[in-house]
Formats: sequence, structure tokens, C-alpha cells
Amino acid sequence: MAVHKRIEVHHVTRVEGHGNIVLEMADGQLKDCRFEVIEAPRFFEAMLRGRSYLEASHIASRICGICSTGHAITSLQATEKALAVQLSQQTILLRKLALYGEILDSHILHVYMLVAPDFLGVGSVIPMVSTHREVVLRALRMKKLAGDICAAITGRHTHPIAMTVGGFTHFPKIYELEQLYKRIESASSDVDATIELFAALSWPEFARETEYVSLTHPDEYAFISGDIVTSDGSYFRVEDYLSLTNEYIVPYSTAKYTRNNRDSYMVGALARFNNNYDRLTPRARDSASTLGLVSKVTNPYLNSAAQIVEIVHCMDESLRIIRELLERGISFEEPAKVSIEQSEGVGACEVPRGLLIHHYWIGSDGCLTDANCVIPTNQNIANIEADMRELVPQISFKPPESVQMDLEMLVRAYDPCISCSVHVLDLTKTYEE
Amino acid sequence: MNSDLDVPASNLILGFGNPLKGDDGIGIQAVKMLSERDLPPDTKVMEVRAPGWDLATWFEGCSFLIMIDAVRMGKPPGTWQRLDLEDIKLIPPKGYLSLHEASITEGLLLTQSLNILPEKILFYGLEPGSLSAGQSLSPVVQAALPDLIEEILREIWDGKNEPKVYPHN
Repeated sequence: MAVHKRIEVHHVTRVEGHGNIVLEMADGQLKDCRFEVIEAPRFFEAMLRGRSYLEASHIASRICGICSTGHAITSLQATEKALAVQLSQQTILLRKLALYGEILDSHILHVYMLVAPDFLGVGSVIPMVSTHREVVLRALRMKKLAGDICAAITGRHTHPIAMTVGGFTHFPKIYELEQLYKRIESASSDVDATIELFAALSWPEFARETEYVSLTHPDEYAFISGDIVTSDGSYFRVEDYLSLTNEYIVPYSTAKYTRNNRDSYMVGALARFNNNYDRLTPRARDSASTLGLVSKVTNPYLNSAAQIVEIVHCMDESLRIIRELLERGISFEEPAKVSIEQSEGVGACEVPRGLLIHHYWIGSDGCLTDANCVIPTNQNIANIEADMRELVPQISFKPPESVQMDLEMLVRAYDPCISCSVHVLDLTKTYEE
Repeated sequence: MNSDLDVPASNLILGFGNPLKGDDGIGIQAVKMLSERDLPPDTKVMEVRAPGWDLATWFEGCSFLIMIDAVRMGKPPGTWQRLDLEDIKLIPPKGYLSLHEASITEGLLLTQSLNILPEKILFYGLEPGSLSAGQSLSPVVQAALPDLIEEILREIWDGKNEPKVYPHN
């Protein structure tokens, strides 16, 4: 008798869309395995058309409530490249600090609120309060510090208001920077406790090598500048991003897929870790070792562990930048001059979930005539599916609930930004016949 | 306004919403109006777009919390109502926990589980009209705001009228 096993995991539709896991096996053979993203089109690129270059970053930041600072900075970069804007060193430092604040905020949220419950045997962060109260309080303390870094530099926790084309409209006060410095220093024990907590977890064992894609920079662990590098040896200037992304569509998903040298590639913390390991701070490299990460890591579940390494790195780098800002002093400088003419520009940053690209075309009146945004999660979808196709035959002996859990944890490990940031999924259909 | 830094305040007023979604921006508009009025010292006013779990990080040192948001209550647009914590819990949280959509309810549940809720909490729900894309409020909702603002000022001044000058002046 044929054994037919089908698992469908439907995500509740949300404003941003939703993701489903579908897998089907017959006679021990994997017949179908998909990660469907039915993302409602949001038309941000169309909304940007016709708007002034000064408004673009504020509109673009609304693409995401988690990485709004990353979208704003990438958007500003695209505009500034198009309008030949030269940034001051102070602006570069402040933007870096804001982006570090956001990376910290997002990674802390992901590892503590979304990943940790799987390992601590609770359904979500709320029951974690009764089993691991100190862990929850630590997560909230760290998250508040990260949000306060963003607020001090950009004026708000989310959706930065103080960053503008060519510079800033508001500057942190010296005492605010001094206060942040002390708080980041005192958070060192929380960072150590975070490493200790996650180093004690047993990550699911699975390995599948893929092409790892990130920015790279000779002098730093690249988040805000650099060229695009891949672990398969490709190298692109950010302006040539289309040669990397090769976007294509599949019938069952409204999200665009991407591929380069293979059928899929991976962006995010693990890709950055693999490509830029030697430019992590010494303490971050030590934490990697404590967490059992040795570059090159091919287990996608360890993307969350790589995020913890980046928490350490961003804390260290935030301290370094604040020290530099305090030594330089803050000057209330006017935004750099723009040169408005018909032109185009590409911005690229590493945001929490990976490589983000904004490409703008600006007309002679200073209004955008077109825009293209490539989001990290879209670049990861093909890779998630490829992981699932390889993982499922290895775990098919397990009961359906365990298979489902493993797949959910895999999707979660990518920290996807669309609705697939699932935590509780409804298993709608599991049957054998 | 937006004094998000780590400065505890005993009175905290949070206005929730997305001002790009029509009347969902009610809470944001309300705190803008409140911030132009005389408020007791030690009062912090914040616009809140996507609170998520951050909600649980803002209550240190806070004894009186006021929240304002658009709430669908099945009433005519522009109707506002004061809700208490038990009412808020009746607003169904999402059936899942996600990055983007840890709701106010979930954020408050976490805060309550941690036993760090402020002593006094008032939640003002205002019935929205249109929630479609757009940056302006419906006229009927806009017209309802001054009355709500006066009510909140009465509460925050503890039943007394808003003074013309700060008490310490």
C-alpha cells in the first residue's frame, strides 16, 4: 500500500502577506516541498515615484517596522549617490551607530523572543516569564538599550526622523553619548550571559553548503559600505547588483526569487559571518568559538548563533564609535550640498536579515522617476526551500509534528521579515493513506 | 515629545497608530495635540508606531499610563470610550506571535506577566472611520479629538483643570 504523507502549514494572512510550508511524500520519496510566500504587493516602489528626493528615505523606512533605519540609510545612500553628495565623517559615524543599534535591536528580538522559546520548551515569550523570568528581563533590558541607541541618533526608536539627505537634522548631545557609552559598557554582563545561554543549547544538526552573499569591506565587518562578495567567488560593485540577484518568479509565490552561481543563495548573519569572519572584533570571534561556530558554517539553524556573534560585534563597535564621536566632539553641521540633475544611484547595506539594495532614478526636478528595492528575505526564499528539500528526507522517519517543528525552526532561523516570521503555525492537514 | 531616552517619567502618555493609514493615526494626532498643552512635570509623551515587545521596556518608574489608539468597537466613527485593562484583553491578540505584529495586547500581557505594569492604566479607544491609505483623519474623527484631549487633561491633572501655568511657576 502506498504511503502518502502530506503536511501543509498555513500561516494566517497578515497585512504584509503570509507564508505556507507545503511538503508531500509518497513511498518515502519527496514529491513536493515549497515555502510559499503570498505577499500582498505593497507598491512601495510605485509610491516612491514622483516624490521628492527629500521624502524618499522617510517613505522607504515604512517598508519595515524592524529594519526601518536600515531601509532609511540604504535609501539615503541611493539618493546621495545619484545626487553626488559627499558625506562628512561625522555623518558616516552617526549612521553606522544608528545601524548598529538597529542590528542589535533586531537580533536581540529574534534570538530571545522568537528562537529561544523553541529551545526552552515554551510556546512563546509570555510563558517564558514564569520559567525563565531573568532571561526575559535581560532580553528587554538589552532591547531597550538598542532602541535607545537608535533614538539618540535618529530621534526615534523606529522610523528615524533625524537622518536626511547629506546628513542629520538633529544631533545627539554629549551627555547622551556618555550615558549610552556607560550603559553599553554595563551591558557587557548581559552579553556574556547571552552567549552562555545560547552556547548551552543543542542546535539541530543539519548541514547544506550554499552560496553565501554579503557586502565586504577590507577594513571592517561590512554593514554600511563595501562591495558584494559571494563564497563562490563572485564579486560585484553594488551598482551591478542585478548581475547577482537574477530575480525570477515561481507560480506559487508572489515574492521574487533570486539566484547567482547556484539555484539559490543565502544572505544574513551567517553569510556575513562566513564571508567576513576575520573582521569581527576579537571578543566577537571569541564568542563564535564559545558558540561552536567555526567559519565556514553550513548549518542554516546556526544563523541565530551568528546573530549572537554580531550582537557582540555591534556592542564593541558601538563603544568604539561613541568613543570616537566623544573625542571629535559633535558639530552641528548643515547637511552636505546636493547637485540635482537627472541621474541614478544604488545604495546597499547589510540590514539584520541580509543584503538590502535600493536603486533610485531621479529626474531633473529632484523627484524620483523610478525605484527598485531588493529585500533580504526575498533573496533567502529559494535557499529556504533548498534546505527543506535536503532536510526532509533526513527527518522523514520522525512523526509529522516533529517534522513540522524542524521545518518551522528552519524557517525561523532565517529570521524572515515577511509574515513567515512565524512562531505558532496551524497544522491544517497531516494524513497517511 | 519622543523623549525615548532612558529617562523614567511617572506619567506616560502613549499614542498608537500608523498615520499613513487614515484614522489609524488617531493616537498619533492625539499625542501631538497633548504635547502642545500644559502637562504635569514628570510627564512623558510618545508617538508609538509599532510597539511590539518594546512596550514592556517603557514602564520603569511609571505609575500612571495613558494609551490612545483607534479601536474598532462597532460604534459610530469618532466615538471614544475609556477602557480598562480587562477590556483591552478582550481585544483579540493575533493567533501567533510575529516580529511585526506583537500587538498592544501581547505587549501588555508580557508586561503584566513580569509584574511591571504601572499602578494606574487608562486606555482610550476611538472608533475609526476609514483605515485606507492616506495621511488625514476623517472629519468626524478629527472633530471628536478635542473632547478626548480635554478628558485626558482632566485625568492627568487628577480632576483639576489644566492650569494656565505650571504649578511650580
